Amino acid sequence: MQVPDDAVKITEDALTISLKNVSVVDQFQFPGGAGNNLGTAGVPATVSFDITYSKVGSPRHIRPTSSDPLSPLNWSGKMWMATNSGTFSLAYNDGSISVQGNFSSTGNFGEIGTERNGSFLQEDDELDKPDTEAVPLVQNQNSSTVATQNETSKLEENAPKLKGRIPVKALVHEP
Amino acid sequence: MTTVSRVACTLCALVICSCPLWGQVQPVPIPGGDVIQPFGLFNQFFPGVGSIYDGMDAEPHGITNFRGVTAMGYTLGLATDNSGKTYQVITDIRVYQGDYVGAQSTFPAGGSTSAKAHGTFVEI
Repeated sequence: MQVPDDAVKITEDALTISLKNVSVVDQFQFPGGAGNNLGTAGVPATVSFDITYSKVGSPRHIRPTSSDPLSPLNWSGKMWMATNSGTFSLAYNDGSISVQGNFSSTGNFGEIGTERNGSFLQEDDELDKPDTEAVPLVQNQNSSTVATQNETSKLEENAPKLKGRIPVKALVHEP
Repeated sequence: MTTVSRVACTLCALVICSCPLWGQVQPVPIPGGDVIQPFGLFNQFFPGVGSIYDGMDAEPHGITNFRGVTAMGYTLGLATDNSGKTYQVITDIRVYQGDYVGAQSTFPAGGSTSAKAHGTFVEI
């Protein structure tokens, strides 16, 4: 669900989210809900929670290792392992039940970082590609884009070399 | 109810359901996800290490064309209800905030075109 931007506070080392009385549906099985998920409809409820995710250790850099759009590995990012802990409360709208509690990661997997996928993957890969890096992912690249890039390459090949001001030192062979 | 009436009711229902979406940029689910029997494709991966997870570097959230900050984690905990009964709590809560390219209703029947937006999302 989409929530207000100010529900989340992001610092150098942590992300905290605080939500109050968000409307949800308590679903009794996973995946739940109506429609294609075929689960039970569930019970309307509201939930409030506060969670803090904190970075642990050094980041790992993730590069897309698949160009298959259905693959879980088709994204890039800089991610840290993360611990998290929080408190929550939940109440059914009909008042029949209310629950409150707390939780923590306690050794379970968690992560925090920056990521990009889909159309941002190709766009940003072009921007931050190091000179020595191989040709990036070709996901979502259409023929007109390829044609434009080929034309650009040809122009670069035909461009005059060493034109303009050149450091003289670069042309002098020292004994 | 005649066929015409049914069609009219259906169209009214579609229009009413579409109203809240006008003017908003709807995030687009990732095309992949876990296939969970007997439900089918669920547009979500489960990052983690072990046979029940998709790997440490699996996509951590559920929308595509996204660029921003993301956090997720599995947790364990305890909860108590209003009658004093205690429950074990297992959660998978994911938060992400950033720019995304989603679907915006453009054509008369709701047909979409791409639009860029900024948003914060939570998966509970």
